[in-house]
Amino acid sequence: MAQLTRRNFMKFAVASGAVLAAGEGMKSKALAGDIKTQTGRDFSPTTKKERKAIPSACWQCVSRDSMIGFVEDGRLVKLEGQPKSIRGNGHICARGQAGLTSVYDPDRILHPMKRIGPRGSGQWKRISWDEAVGELTSRIKKLRDAGTPEKFLYHYGRAKASSGKLIGGMVKATGTGSIGNHTGVCESAKWTAQEMTWGGHFDNWDIDNTKYMLIFGSNILETHTNHMSVAHRIMHAKVDRGVKMVTFDVRMSNTAAKSDEYIPIKQGTDMAVFLAMTKVILDKGLYKGAGEEFLEYCKCTEKHDDSVANKIAALKKHYANYTPAWAAQISGVPASTIERIAVEYATTKPAVLIAYRGPVTTYNGTDCERARQVLSSITGNVDAPGTNCKAVGAGWSSAAIPKAKTKKVKDIFDGAPKGEPESYPFPTHHASHQVLDRIKAKGPGTFDVAVWYCYTPVFANGNHMRNIEIVKDEKLLPFVVSCDTSYGDSTHYADMIMPDATYLERYDWEDMVDPTQIGEFYIRQALVKPLGEARDFGDVMIEVVNRLGIKTDYKTKEEYVKMSVDMTPGVKEAGGWAYMAKHGVWNDGKAKFYSYKKEVPASAIKEDGVVYDEQAGVYWNAKKAHAKPGDSYFKTKNAYKYYVATKMGNKLLAGFKPDKINKSGYMELWSQVVKDAGYNALPEWIPAPNQKNMGPNDMHLTTYKVCVQTHSRTQNNKWLTEIYPNNHAWINPKDASKRGIGDGDKIKVKSSIAEMETYAHVTENAQPGHIHISHHMGHYQYGRYASGKRAPEGRDDPDDKNIHWKWHGSHPNQVIPNRGDRLGGFQRWNDTVVQVRKA
Amino acid sequence: MSKTKKVSRRDVLKTGGAVAAAATVTGMPASIAEAATGNPRWAFVVDLRRCVGCRTCTISCKSEFNVPLGRWRAVIKTVDWGKFPTARRAFVPRLCNHCAGESDTGVPPCVEKCPEAKSGKRMKLGNERYRTGATYKRPDGMILVDMDLCIGCYKCIDACPYGVRYVDPNVKLKRPDREKDLGIGKCTFCEHRVDQGIEPSCVQACPHETRSFGDMNDPGSKVSKLIKEFGLDKKRADTTLLPDEGTMPHVFYIDPEGVLDHYSFDHKNQEKRLAEYRDNII
Repeated sequence: MAQLTRRNFMKFAVASGAVLAAGEGMKSKALAGDIKTQTGRDFSPTTKKERKAIPSACWQCVSRDSMIGFVEDGRLVKLEGQPKSIRGNGHICARGQAGLTSVYDPDRILHPMKRIGPRGSGQWKRISWDEAVGELTSRIKKLRDAGTPEKFLYHYGRAKASSGKLIGGMVKATGTGSIGNHTGVCESAKWTAQEMTWGGHFDNWDIDNTKYMLIFGSNILETHTNHMSVAHRIMHAKVDRGVKMVTFDVRMSNTAAKSDEYIPIKQGTDMAVFLAMTKVILDKGLYKGAGEEFLEYCKCTEKHDDSVANKIAALKKHYANYTPAWAAQISGVPASTIERIAVEYATTKPAVLIAYRGPVTTYNGTDCERARQVLSSITGNVDAPGTNCKAVGAGWSSAAIPKAKTKKVKDIFDGAPKGEPESYPFPTHHASHQVLDRIKAKGPGTFDVAVWYCYTPVFANGNHMRNIEIVKDEKLLPFVVSCDTSYGDSTHYADMIMPDATYLERYDWEDMVDPTQIGEFYIRQALVKPLGEARDFGDVMIEVVNRLGIKTDYKTKEEYVKMSVDMTPGVKEAGGWAYMAKHGVWNDGKAKFYSYKKEVPASAIKEDGVVYDEQAGVYWNAKKAHAKPGDSYFKTKNAYKYYVATKMGNKLLAGFKPDKINKSGYMELWSQVVKDAGYNALPEWIPAPNQKNMGPNDMHLTTYKVCVQTHSRTQNNKWLTEIYPNNHAWINPKDASKRGIGDGDKIKVKSSIAEMETYAHVTENAQPGHIHISHHMGHYQYGRYASGKRAPEGRDDPDDKNIHWKWHGSHPNQVIPNRGDRLGGFQRWNDTVVQVRKA
Repeated sequence: MSKTKKVSRRDVLKTGGAVAAAATVTGMPASIAEAATGNPRWAFVVDLRRCVGCRTCTISCKSEFNVPLGRWRAVIKTVDWGKFPTARRAFVPRLCNHCAGESDTGVPPCVEKCPEAKSGKRMKLGNERYRTGATYKRPDGMILVDMDLCIGCYKCIDACPYGVRYVDPNVKLKRPDREKDLGIGKCTFCEHRVDQGIEPSCVQACPHETRSFGDMNDPGSKVSKLIKEFGLDKKRADTTLLPDEGTMPHVFYIDPEGVLDHYSFDHKNQEKRLAEYRDNII
């Protein structure tokens, strides 16, 4: 990848200047020679003037890539990747490029507003910021004075890095711990499984050093949690280094299409294939070598210090019935293919195994990811160059956040109480899809004020119509504030709107996972001032907290961010904020592998309160954990927080440190806590109860994402939506002809909870027995491009006359119930059974 | 410079079969003239092995030029063939081919049909003199438009077999007698960036190095190396779009898997070829 350093850029600029000067004399414009590495600048096509370049970071999706914004006469006109970024190597995706249409969205809310008609009537009046902040503050103050600060519900959709830290901190400073997130509809099954096995969550794939890429249910070339920084590495590995890429998916995504081999797999059955591949590898002895070495660090039986031979014997016993023939029957993947891919994966080292949303949005979700961890482990493809690694991101320091004791309303965020349907043993990232139902179950009086920050509970969860029914109920939610840039499908049901600054108008430090394992520090800075009266919600919450009489060292988020950057080791020495504002990125150049092999000094276990737990093989500080003498590490609440080290052989290792779940420093393929919850300690296939009695006409509904949309967020970005204005339901010609459905026909899709109407796209890229509908489109509000409806105070746009689509899609979440996976409570987006017919 | 010139000329004569043939007919084919003047000959190479259909190029171009809704300067076409479970899907990025022009005239069809193709300023590039026009070819191969000169006859839109030109609903013509008429738009190879030594927007944007832009007259350029490695100029029938039209495109496709065999559109029908030049995902 061509890197344009400052030095060669200057050299080039001088040289090109000379040529230009000469060319001017000759009335010549062009330059001879190769210009392939020249980036980082942009010029106006009309005035030819250079556009001002400002380093910043994207936030069109959670990947948050480093980029450069180009500004012309005070208007943001172009976004490009940051060439100096080791994550993105100068690249952002289509969504990133289109980000500026969020700033100039003619439906964007630019002033604080208060509802004047009935809830959901869409009638609003402008109010001042003083009134808006005053109203929110006085309601919170009332709750604090009454000793019930927890009746302030703060539910956010996306807030990461400094936004998460600061806004979350300010919310907690008010005294409430009633904080909702969205991970339960995002990817929490992966995180929960990783917490059970290797501790702190997030896997990264060291594509640059890998020799084999095996992908399950991840459309990583189109869309992903860490999309572009990984995707561009995959294509370079494939084309430039000839690294084989194999993809299992329920439908032919663009990722599947670009793979060397695409293997269709039935919905929700990836786990069966993982289990069978593991059996093949065990039976053929392909764990020998790297796998055996890594198994030293794995827990595979009840005994943490078992011999590797015993571990292998135990695994062989557990996996005995998971034969390729068994998995073939369940998954539709031929047994010979399962066997062949297992051998390829185990013998082409190092290899990455990228499994994402597809496999885990199912009944077995969390256990499926555990099964994936077993497969990586027995082949030694863990945390080593070229394998599945523990993710590394920047570790920023934070300026002081006011400390506060918080109270939280119980039985809201983690699903139903034990014993009821939709209760989960390990909701380590909560069950956001259950929150509205839980509020309904608890009844009026649970919350007095709710703030949705960048969150759309109506649209982002399943069962839309029920969501609308609940949010419309003023007894359940007496006062709702929506803070967002757009007039969302949920904002429509709010009582007050606080218009947020877009990510292109604000400041942050950023920390998304770095595919190089180095950990890139990068920042976001305002490319233009917030339009209208839009205001960073961080600033709003600082003001709320200050009005409550709580002091902060800063008055704005910009100040908080700059203070934090200036105090972060490494960045500070490089020049702090001044350096970051100019360059956008910084790293220490050191890749971090084998984190689990780090030795812990003997002094650490001699500290006051540290004891050894024989069963776990763990040293932990029982005193700090408020445990009674003899209490077990596994069974003491939050014991993981006081983990010190694990004894492996005669070494004291940091190991795979626990997070959110009590585990040892081993890679726990065999989990004591899972066993204690009544499930098999090793990953176990359990057929989804709702799919047991599927009839010949029943179909699997699966949802997916496309390369030009992000979740339910980007649909009023006109350049994206004109490419993908609606979401046809993909159906295979075999299923279509059986039902008399032709390409483009109107169809009805019915589940156990609702029926939706949409249009069919009859395609060989759909799998028989399945219907695939993307979950981007079909907004009820959100602006003219997304729904055909202008937002309140929507302005004219030069492109109004050019809108060339009339149908805005139909959202599959309407027919998907809110149900969690059996261990972690992760929303089962992909295992709904439906009937499809021509409308 | 002189070294580059020499190697370029030899290179062109050795490998550019079609170009060399054209030279004998017209006496002044693009490539030879460019090599002789020391000017670059810009070319574009699209590596179909790398394109994942991500549309980053499409949007980057939209943004660079603030292209109106419903119009595109760069698009990705999705190509599907075969049946489940062995169905195939690939992507063909498209842009203006910046054609060298028919071998007997050296003039691309859009320029040929433009009544104002030579009504602009006298210019000189390297040692070569040329005139700008409403639609004109610069000696370095760029096909450009000038809305100061355009009369809005739209004959260039009809003339382009690729359908890459559009009427721009947001651009008015500048000529006093045509102020009410709409202008046209097309891919310019990002002439405004290239002239400053910056690669085209879509090339910068492409995450997978599908797109390469550079000087065919410089044997050290990436495009020259790719053209040589894959013999792109020797088998134009396989590496360019609509080779039978004889337009001599300077957008070449690396296509070892034969994706282009599965991609076609009715280019004789204006409505269909314009409809084809849109970006849409289903």
